[in-house]
Amino acid sequence: MTAVIKTHQLSRHYGRGDTLVKALDAVDMTIEPGEFTAIVGPSGSGKSTLLQLMGGLDVPTLGEVWLANKAISAMSGRELSDFRRDHIGFIFQAYNLIPVLTAAENCEYIMLLQGVPEAERKHRVQDMLAKVGLSGKENRRPGELSGGQQQRVAVARAMVSQPDLILADEPTANLDSHTGKDLLDMMHDLNRNDGMTFVFSTHDPMIMERANRLISLRDGRVEEDDRRVR
Amino acid sequence: MLMLKLAFRNLLRNRRRTTLTLLSMLGGYLLVALLNSVEEGSYDQVLNFYTRDVTGHVQITAPGFIERPNLHRTVPADESLLNQLSDQNGVEAVTARLESSALAYGEDKSFPVAVTGIHPEREAQLSLLVDKLTAGNYLTSDLDESGFYSAMIGHAVARQLSLGVGDELVLISQGADGSLANDLYRVVGIVGDADSMEARQVFLPLTAAQELFVLPEQAHRVLILGTDYRRATALSNQLALWAEDTPFAEAEAEVDPWQVVAKDFYDTMEADKEGSVFASYVLIFLVCVGVLNTVLMSVMERTREFGVLKAIGTSPSRLFMLILLETQMLALIACALGFLIALPANYWLTHVGFEMGEAIEVSGILFSHYRGQMSVAVFAFPAVVIFVAAFIVALLPGLRAARLTPIDAMRAH
Repeated sequence: MTAVIKTHQLSRHYGRGDTLVKALDAVDMTIEPGEFTAIVGPSGSGKSTLLQLMGGLDVPTLGEVWLANKAISAMSGRELSDFRRDHIGFIFQAYNLIPVLTAAENCEYIMLLQGVPEAERKHRVQDMLAKVGLSGKENRRPGELSGGQQQRVAVARAMVSQPDLILADEPTANLDSHTGKDLLDMMHDLNRNDGMTFVFSTHDPMIMERANRLISLRDGRVEEDDRRVR
Repeated sequence: MLMLKLAFRNLLRNRRRTTLTLLSMLGGYLLVALLNSVEEGSYDQVLNFYTRDVTGHVQITAPGFIERPNLHRTVPADESLLNQLSDQNGVEAVTARLESSALAYGEDKSFPVAVTGIHPEREAQLSLLVDKLTAGNYLTSDLDESGFYSAMIGHAVARQLSLGVGDELVLISQGADGSLANDLYRVVGIVGDADSMEARQVFLPLTAAQELFVLPEQAHRVLILGTDYRRATALSNQLALWAEDTPFAEAEAEVDPWQVVAKDFYDTMEADKEGSVFASYVLIFLVCVGVLNTVLMSVMERTREFGVLKAIGTSPSRLFMLILLETQMLALIACALGFLIALPANYWLTHVGFEMGEAIEVSGILFSHYRGQMSVAVFAFPAVVIFVAAFIVALLPGLRAARLTPIDAMRAH
């Protein structure tokens, strides 16, 4: 089976000399298709940094990331953005929706970049917003939605373009437990039913509970990699 | 379409800043448009009068006459040739002038004068000489009852020789054949004032001048008035072709537009125009600095958002285009509003204009109002300038946004 993501000696350092901080230190990891992986660890352990490097949002100090067997360092800025557009969905802790676009337009945006025909775009957006429980709120802008609703839009945006991999950075951190559970159930269903690969960085026990792989980070290194059969 | 929507809504998100940027662009458009209009209108007025009154739009002269005028450098100017010339396409009026100098005598004084032989009827159709008459009557080609040709004299000639309308004027000069040229004329009119370019001139009927200087059916200049001084070069080329099969060719005559005939005047006007264009560019530069500031602010404020757009797959070039699109949209709105305001303002400038502090005289004609010019260029030039300036201004912020690393941008506050 082809790995979705593979890292080799992946490192991210900040500062130099006495102030050198190794946010991530020589991490080797392979994410297989269909995994529902949670990267856990205390604050500052390197969870978010690992996710950002895996998604090509940041540049490693050392090591390499392969996305679908292609090294990120070999990709141009354009290739990398195209790759993210076509293969990776991001869910951020702070939602990061485009404030001037409506919920539907936020979801539609990536498909527009992909060149999906308008009719199909509209259809998929309607479906996805219904799936995340936002039917009837398609034309609301982020400022008119609650935090939970915004995160649902962010989830819908990440999934509507049907990526191979979704990278979610503490997606439930700003949500109440009920909303968080609903969202998580929905993502879990998508993983089980559609085989979508998820990688979370999280402190949330609910995510850890559902994950079929738990990777523990401490001080930028992998402390434990626990594959669980469910 | 979604990109357009995104650009448009981005403009609306900070309305105060957008309004300020828009006002800067709008102000720039209006200032350049109206400045351009007044400049072009003034040049148009001056050039129109100058070419009408002094040079015509095109001239036919003997080789070297323009650079070094000489009594012997003449071209044929018989009536049938002038009529043929009048029949050419685009020709509105034709006249011939014979120019030399002479010593003029009045009652008991002499005074050096410039003598110009003109075709009274043709000259009246082409130049503004008839309008400059301040006393007496306009010149006629006929002899008076005493057998004298008539003459019009400039203000300085009249004053120096104490001559008035009805007095006799004697001119002494040299004929083209080397003979002593002298004759008696009746003053029928006085033209211009002490400051006019005609002040030291004596105007004779062409036939009288041809007789005086022994140059039958000859002239130094054949002047042609076309429909528009701006089309002078085209008319000149057309007439040069036509002249190849006429007696002008035998005289090796040269056909030149007014820009060649009055080269110094033309060069001065062009230099003046360049100075005005430079002033426009300074103005645009100041507008650009203001716009750059607001566009840069808007990009800096949205750094985090640009990081998100890049993270979810927006290519650097598309992000760059988004910034460009936003400024071009602003430029479009500014130009549209600018056009709507500049149109009636320019209409007023063109048809009414505003009064000068002090009227100026060009070639004996008084200009008392600054006037505008209603032309496509007056509205199009500032629009092009605003669009290009908006493009240039957007380059730096656009490149900055395109080069952002997503995660660094998303960390920005």
